[in-house]
Amino acid sequence: MATQPSNATLNKTVLIVEDELHIIESLRFILQRAGYLVHEVHDGNDAVNSVRAHIPDVIVLDLMLPNKNGFEILKELKSDLALSNTPVLMLTAKGQQQDRANAEQLKVDAFITKPFSNQEVLSCIDHLSKR
Amino acid sequence: MKPTVIGIRIREQRKRIGLTQAAMARELGISPAYLNLIESNKRSVGGGLLKRVASILDVNLQTLSGAAEQRLSDDLRALSADPLFDNVDPGENFAEEIIAKHPEWARMMLILYQAYLDRSRALSVMSDRLNRDTQLQTSVHRMLTHLTSIRSVSEILNDAEEIEINQRQRFHQLLQTESVELTNVAQELVSYFSTQKSTNPTAAVAEKVDEFIISRQNYFPELERASEELLKEIHNTGNNELDGALQEFLTEKLKIDIRNETISKDKGARYKNQSRMDKDNNTLFFLENAPVITRRFQMMRVASEVVCKQALEKIVSDPRLSSFAARHQAKRALASYIASAALMPYDFFMETAETHRYDIDVLQQKFNAGYEQVCHRLVTLRKPGAEGVPFAFMRADPSGYVSKRFPLTRFPLPRYGHVCPLWPIFSTFQFPGKIARNIAEFPNGDRFLMISRSVRKPPITFHDPPVSLAIMLVCDIIHGDRLVYSEGLDFKSQKNLLRVGPSCNQCAYAECQHRQESPWTLMDNGH
Repeated sequence: MATQPSNATLNKTVLIVEDELHIIESLRFILQRAGYLVHEVHDGNDAVNSVRAHIPDVIVLDLMLPNKNGFEILKELKSDLALSNTPVLMLTAKGQQQDRANAEQLKVDAFITKPFSNQEVLSCIDHLSKR
Repeated sequence: MKPTVIGIRIREQRKRIGLTQAAMARELGISPAYLNLIESNKRSVGGGLLKRVASILDVNLQTLSGAAEQRLSDDLRALSADPLFDNVDPGENFAEEIIAKHPEWARMMLILYQAYLDRSRALSVMSDRLNRDTQLQTSVHRMLTHLTSIRSVSEILNDAEEIEINQRQRFHQLLQTESVELTNVAQELVSYFSTQKSTNPTAAVAEKVDEFIISRQNYFPELERASEELLKEIHNTGNNELDGALQEFLTEKLKIDIRNETISKDKGARYKNQSRMDKDNNTLFFLENAPVITRRFQMMRVASEVVCKQALEKIVSDPRLSSFAARHQAKRALASYIASAALMPYDFFMETAETHRYDIDVLQQKFNAGYEQVCHRLVTLRKPGAEGVPFAFMRADPSGYVSKRFPLTRFPLPRYGHVCPLWPIFSTFQFPGKIARNIAEFPNGDRFLMISRSVRKPPITFHDPPVSLAIMLVCDIIHGDRLVYSEGLDFKSQKNLLRVGPSCNQCAYAECQHRQESPWTLMDNGH
């Protein structure tokens, strides 16, 4: 696990769209520890506006969110020319084939199912942030 | 359709009484060659000829027709049509041969096949539940969410040696909170599974009950007697009007409270047949819009369950009803039988049916009963010596799901898989409330009069979809002239015949445009 911030991650931002506060807490810890700036959104309705207000380097998106689910948010993001290039990592407890297929159809950049390993998530975000 | 066992039985009985084929043919007024064809199951025999055969051989029709063996034979054929046996050719008369030589093996095969179907269904139900049960899905989602936190935090605690003491304490606290939450979800799940009871008995249970009722020819003399006693007790209340007497009997004698509930959208599922019996509080609830017919029948059914408890318990102790669910469902069905018998007493109902040529509309009005209730009662008219027209009965929903079935010896209702889509029962959904009568011919030449009609249970409110069901009564064409429904139909004409089969895999009409599966008889010939 990357324990120290590297130049590659400094000043890069990750937006976590997730409603489970304890998951956010551990994600924030591992990402900040790796040198990322972390923002959070807890409600599906606020996600796209938050991205528009400040385009992050990577979006970590949960599927089951209050008011608007991850698929709807992903669709909006990928159909907005200004936002469509922002990489999205979908992080979800729904790991069924159909969910993965839906996400891929909506052009998700990466898909990881919960419970995840921190290293797996971090490696993926590192990879996406370099694109 | 399929060869029958009648021929074999005729030959056996003829030989038993020492009668030659030629002598018997002479007495019957047919040629010995024709009798030989009958005995070889190459010609069907029915109606007056069968009665004469029974008389000469001094056996009753039931014994001769071998109804039980015939059902066994039908079930074996249905079994052999399962795609599981696609590459097996059992031979033309395999069912009759097995039944003749090893009847117990035939039964064992069917028990095994039923067990296989039960297990397959149980697996499908479990799989369906895992995929679609929203409560289960929510619980699994919550478990995965808590596990995610636990895994992530424990990895942090394990990997991040430099972590500050306050932060470390915070993560320990998180770990504890999440572990407790995970335990709670697990306990909820355990409790969910241990308290889950299906209010809809499985199809396997329904089949067991069906089989049991069919084996008794849908006639229970002990319940007919019980219904007479029940009716006497009800009239002993002194109230001459049946509905009032019933209500009084329930409330005064049986201490069952009867209440009306206001209609609301969410009550549909709880109020099947617009009524609900709360056994814990001894209260029978009706939706306020429940019609008189429904109220009368349900009150009588509840009274039957209480007053005729011993008679019901005795019947359902039959070993064929091996599970609690099967006994429970059978008891419910038989309580309805008693209610039906009490409201439509056998002799009077039989006499009225004969007088009015089985006109269901007339019977409905004479006995203040519903269409389905009258049809059910017609099927029970099997009292030895006072038998009505033998009817097969079938009830299906618009998806083709058969929820009730009672076959006849020569009119099998396939137990497994679908039935022929050309049966008029399915087209009646397009003409709600209208009775359709058809002469249907099966591939072996057997002809039946089919009387079909759809019935619609009224929705609780505008927002509820109405429950539509179709009901079909079927009788052998030889009884057709006793029925009002044969009037104007030309039995001899080939023009208006409806050519149908039992089900695709048991049907020999090769050119049928409605065929969905290959017939089992052709499978091994590469067709």
